[in-house]
Amino acid sequence: MKNLWTRILDELSQAWIVTLKDIKVYYLRPGMIMFGFLMPFFMFFSFSVRRNMAAGEGMSRLLALTIFFTAAAAGPFIIPTERRLGTYDRLLAAPMSLFTLLLGKIAVGAFFAIAVSSIAAIVGILFLDASIAQPALMIAGIFIGSFTFSTMGLIFGSIPTRNPGDVQMPSTLIRWVLLFVSGVFVPLSEMSTVARGISYISPLTYAQDLMNHAVLGTGELALWLNLSVLFLSGIIFLLPSIKLHQRGRVLGY
Amino acid sequence: MSHTIEVHNLTKIYPSSGSGGGLLAVDQINFKIGKGEIFGFLGPNGAGKSTTQRMLTTLLTPTEGQILILGHDLADDAYPAKRQIGLVPEESNVYTELTAWDNLMFTGRLYRMSKTDRTIRAEELLKDFGLWEKKDVKAEEFSKGMKRRLSIAMAIIHKPALLFLDEPTPGLDVQSARTIRALISQLSTEGTTVFMTTHQIEEANQLCDRVAIISHGKIAAIDTPEKLKQTFQQVQSVEIAFTSSSEGLEEKLTNLPNVSTVLKIGDKWRLYTNSPPVLLPHLIKFSEEENLGILSLNTLAPSLEDVFLQITGQQIGTISNEPSPQKSGMKRKKGNQS
Repeated sequence: MKNLWTRILDELSQAWIVTLKDIKVYYLRPGMIMFGFLMPFFMFFSFSVRRNMAAGEGMSRLLALTIFFTAAAAGPFIIPTERRLGTYDRLLAAPMSLFTLLLGKIAVGAFFAIAVSSIAAIVGILFLDASIAQPALMIAGIFIGSFTFSTMGLIFGSIPTRNPGDVQMPSTLIRWVLLFVSGVFVPLSEMSTVARGISYISPLTYAQDLMNHAVLGTGELALWLNLSVLFLSGIIFLLPSIKLHQRGRVLGY
Repeated sequence: MSHTIEVHNLTKIYPSSGSGGGLLAVDQINFKIGKGEIFGFLGPNGAGKSTTQRMLTTLLTPTEGQILILGHDLADDAYPAKRQIGLVPEESNVYTELTAWDNLMFTGRLYRMSKTDRTIRAEELLKDFGLWEKKDVKAEEFSKGMKRRLSIAMAIIHKPALLFLDEPTPGLDVQSARTIRALISQLSTEGTTVFMTTHQIEEANQLCDRVAIISHGKIAAIDTPEKLKQTFQQVQSVEIAFTSSSEGLEEKLTNLPNVSTVLKIGDKWRLYTNSPPVLLPHLIKFSEEENLGILSLNTLAPSLEDVFLQITGQQIGTISNEPSPQKSGMKRKKGNQS
């Protein structure tokens, strides 16, 4: 039992080392700034300009958008880049499990999203005079959402390829599609029955509704449902990542 | 535990994208490597060298077979084996955004070294590898040789019992290559087992205790370099330089008794034979008849390169008909690396 506990602590420590290294190496890389930082803000402003939107409503949408887009940007950029440079082999050959490595990579995207969405929240509160109905829920939502969507990004990063472009394009495309069906730009209450049915498939729907609860104090779905779906999605998204990595080891990536 | 590496019936078939059976890259190979041994893994491109090394370092899943590293079966639990492995891939995989020091600190942490241990070891390695003055410089500013040295330092910071080196010296300047060769010898003396894949046959000849030659996914030969050379006495040769030349010289030399192949190397002719004592009198008589003065004359035992070419099915002297001596010398070298 003691050995198992030591091993768990050891693996968690390894994951943290990978995360710290990636923060140093990748956070200021153009790919991360473009896809993880600038793009969600550009998208938000291009859709919100000339619309009469209350500060709180705007902030709720911006938070969901940045959590989603930023967290999911890291995996598709970092892992194929590391595969191309050969540095991923160093990590795969290191004494840690695949799960530990993936945990480290998930944390990289999640922390990036937490940082970017915190900036969005601070700007909203200080400059737009937005009020937060449930600050603790907002912080919890940012954390859970960031980890869930970082895990989603990891699926694309796990596709066996050494070319970041091969996965960034499809991952961006899918993220765009999800944005339009998840109540970010068109609220759930204004959607048709069919569109609403489709929106329930997307985990972003639950992140947006969670942010509505946190910032506006009201949402279309039950709070427990939003939290549960986001939490479970994060776990479910890990499975294809592990499978794709195992496939990569069979194919030689 | 008697061996550092034990490989039993190791096979790798890369799955094909179509309905075919896939690509057989490594075919039922077996070998054992002892502690402190420098083991060279030679073979032409596509023979299965890198595939084998990637399986031994857990980067690639074998289709079949068993790998024991320091007594640990990689299929069951690779973790204890991984802690004792160092890996230097063909391309130096340092983090160019980090300084030399940060690269070493990161690797030290990955291998669970204490702060004191990794600091002492990093300083020692950077000084040994001539990188101490550049410790706070980002690796993106390093030359290829410096990156290579840093990559090796990262692989050995945790003092691994087993070091994998993939093509350690190609493309490096003479000084860097020498430093790396000296390091490999030193590591072996200290008890580290070195598994080295290389195209540099002379390097393998100088460094390795044993070599394996892999061809078409199978191990075609495995022994010490000297024993391998003795096995291939038919590739002995006589090297001669004449003071002058004559028309059709190559054809005339080829027609001498016991000559299998003639190769022009720079200003010399190399005549491959299974019996230099039989050939020599004929060669001297020929030079007198043709009025060709002899500038130098040497008999050569088979080189590891000759053995390699024989085993891998590449013909000795296949490019000996090049018109220019300089060209043929250059092309032969290139041919040997293919």
